[in-house]
Amino acid sequence: MIARHFLRRSLALACLQLFVAAAALGRQTGADEQLPRSRYRSGEQTLRAFAPVAAATRFSIIKLEVDDTPVALGAVVDTNGLAITKASELKPGKLTCWLASDAHADAEVIARDESADVALVRVHATGLKPIQWSDEHVHPGQWAITPGIAPTPHAIGVVSTLPRRIRAQRALIGVQFDFSTNVPRIEEVLPGLGAEEAGLKAGDVVTALNGAAVTNREQIVERLRGFRAGETVKVRVQRGTGSFEAQIRMMAPSAEWLAGELDAPSGRDRLVGEVSLRAEGFEQVIEHDTVLHPWLCGGPLVDLDGKAIGLNIARASRVSTYALPTSLVKRIVKDLEAKAQKAASTK
Amino acid sequence: MNATRDLRVPICGWLLAAALNCTPLLGADPLSAPPVPKPAPAHRSEWAAALRKPVPESIADLAAIEQHVKALLPRVSPAVVAVEVGYGSGSGVVVSSNGLVLTAGHVAGRAGRSVHFTFPDGKVAHGKTLGLDADTDSGLMLITDPGPWPCVPMGDFEDVRLGDWVLALGHPGGFDLQRSLVARLGRVIGFPEGAIQTDCTISPGDSGGPLVDMAGHVIGIHTAISGPTSENYHVAINDYYEAWDHLTHGPQTTDLVANPRAYIGASGVDDPAGCRITEVESNSPAARAGLKAGDIVLEVEQRRIPVAAVFRRWIAEAQPGETLHLEVKRGDDHLKLEVQVETPPGPR
Repeated sequence: MIARHFLRRSLALACLQLFVAAAALGRQTGADEQLPRSRYRSGEQTLRAFAPVAAATRFSIIKLEVDDTPVALGAVVDTNGLAITKASELKPGKLTCWLASDAHADAEVIARDESADVALVRVHATGLKPIQWSDEHVHPGQWAITPGIAPTPHAIGVVSTLPRRIRAQRALIGVQFDFSTNVPRIEEVLPGLGAEEAGLKAGDVVTALNGAAVTNREQIVERLRGFRAGETVKVRVQRGTGSFEAQIRMMAPSAEWLAGELDAPSGRDRLVGEVSLRAEGFEQVIEHDTVLHPWLCGGPLVDLDGKAIGLNIARASRVSTYALPTSLVKRIVKDLEAKAQKAASTK
Repeated sequence: MNATRDLRVPICGWLLAAALNCTPLLGADPLSAPPVPKPAPAHRSEWAAALRKPVPESIADLAAIEQHVKALLPRVSPAVVAVEVGYGSGSGVVVSSNGLVLTAGHVAGRAGRSVHFTFPDGKVAHGKTLGLDADTDSGLMLITDPGPWPCVPMGDFEDVRLGDWVLALGHPGGFDLQRSLVARLGRVIGFPEGAIQTDCTISPGDSGGPLVDMAGHVIGIHTAISGPTSENYHVAINDYYEAWDHLTHGPQTTDLVANPRAYIGASGVDDPAGCRITEVESNSPAARAGLKAGDIVLEVEQRRIPVAAVFRRWIAEAQPGETLHLEVKRGDDHLKLEVQVETPPGPR
């Protein structure tokens, strides 16, 4: 019994120490047998069985980069090089993409739907195939595959829930203003949010947002209300006698984070590492259990037939990902194409 | 709704057999303790070949797995409940038509607490905790409203093999009608310390939810996550059979029932940062150490406390007379406290 207690405690500690206890009492059959990682659900050998799905879809997928850093995947929607992706991952910079043919092409954003967080992108390349959309209803338990441009998918999972709406949360730049004065002077920069990332400091004074002058706190709060998590706002800052412009990404931290119940390092990881910057405020999503890097969102989520059941739109938590369902994506694409055409004809 | 009947819609023969095992577990006299249930055999030899391969080899294998899982889900889902106990929440699974619910020990807490159950369709029921075994983190509850309730049979741990495909079900973070039940698929990757380890991507809020095998039987209950998202822990179903007496006759005195010889006189609940102390008894070792309600225990002996159950386990496993060093957060301050574990005072 004492040994059992000891082992139980070491198990608890193993969970904490973030490693798997090496010495296992195990069952009578094979004391410390462990499934080889390659045979895990998302292990190499398992992924290999999904290769035909990747083969059927990889020429309909693009891998987007901004200034040579991967930011998102995209789904090709026509034969003329139009693709859609997750808008909020497209930071300012030079947009290019890799194709399954190993070609590297320039790309440009031609229309955006900020509310759905989808951007329409023109890829300057030929030979791209539009992704096929599934017309069938999704069912919890069905495979949900995230292919990229490689011969095996990036990740796989299953559909976890039926489609549902995800409400929007308030987005913040991450500063606390000095309430003793009407001047918008920053009293505190909250750790882990956009303002800190952009280098703002206590004592800085905000003088303009996206080029429009501001003189008090209320104006700033009012102007920022229209922004969503993941969007970037240009902030003019006065520091001492100098002044500069900072690009600050808006984030929507969880209530528990704001209440200080998560300590800064883990809160920070949660906000800027594992989870997408914009992971809320969607009309409808399918939740699946794929652990997907935020920079692998934006591409199609497909079934075993290689048909898209949705567009991966956000890594929502440590262990779940959201995809916009096909019916919604089709409508968004139609609207974006119309928007792009209108913009082109008025030029 | 009679779930036993629902479950009788066979996917194939073995499921029919399984469904017949999901019978009332309470005796005819409602006051008598439920007898130890009999494990439902998995009849593995009748499973589709794709489910038994070391690794799926083709789209056909994957399609066979998918078809099986899609058919299984609607049959087991109705029995997976969200539970609210005190201020805490978690998941559970109904395993008898008259309302016995398996959950994690750290979700149930002491016996006799009232519980609010929510089924995946939003229907609610009321009941109580029956007991827990803190050593294995197993817990048992009972729906006291009249049934019958949808239920899933308890499986046989001896039938579980490395590499088995399994479904992890639950209501992570509490019940959400728009979302309802969340399903995850994974494989059994190991049996550390007699628990079941899988690569099902569960989260801390999943505690108490069932791990279901391809026969549609409960083979484990979610208990803990680890650093990698693909290596998580489930209480093995055999721990429930073994601790059945504990689970049905839980002591009703305190949260810290794991080992009545070790006592500090404080109780706590899960907090994102550790274990939040909810109550400190006056003149107890915890009170003498300066521990206060509202404190968050971050570490014990320099080991992080991810959930309240781990803190309870530390106490339970300490020897009376032993001093434990706690790292505690009080407001913005971090304090180091030393608490001397004692034997509990006489009957209270």
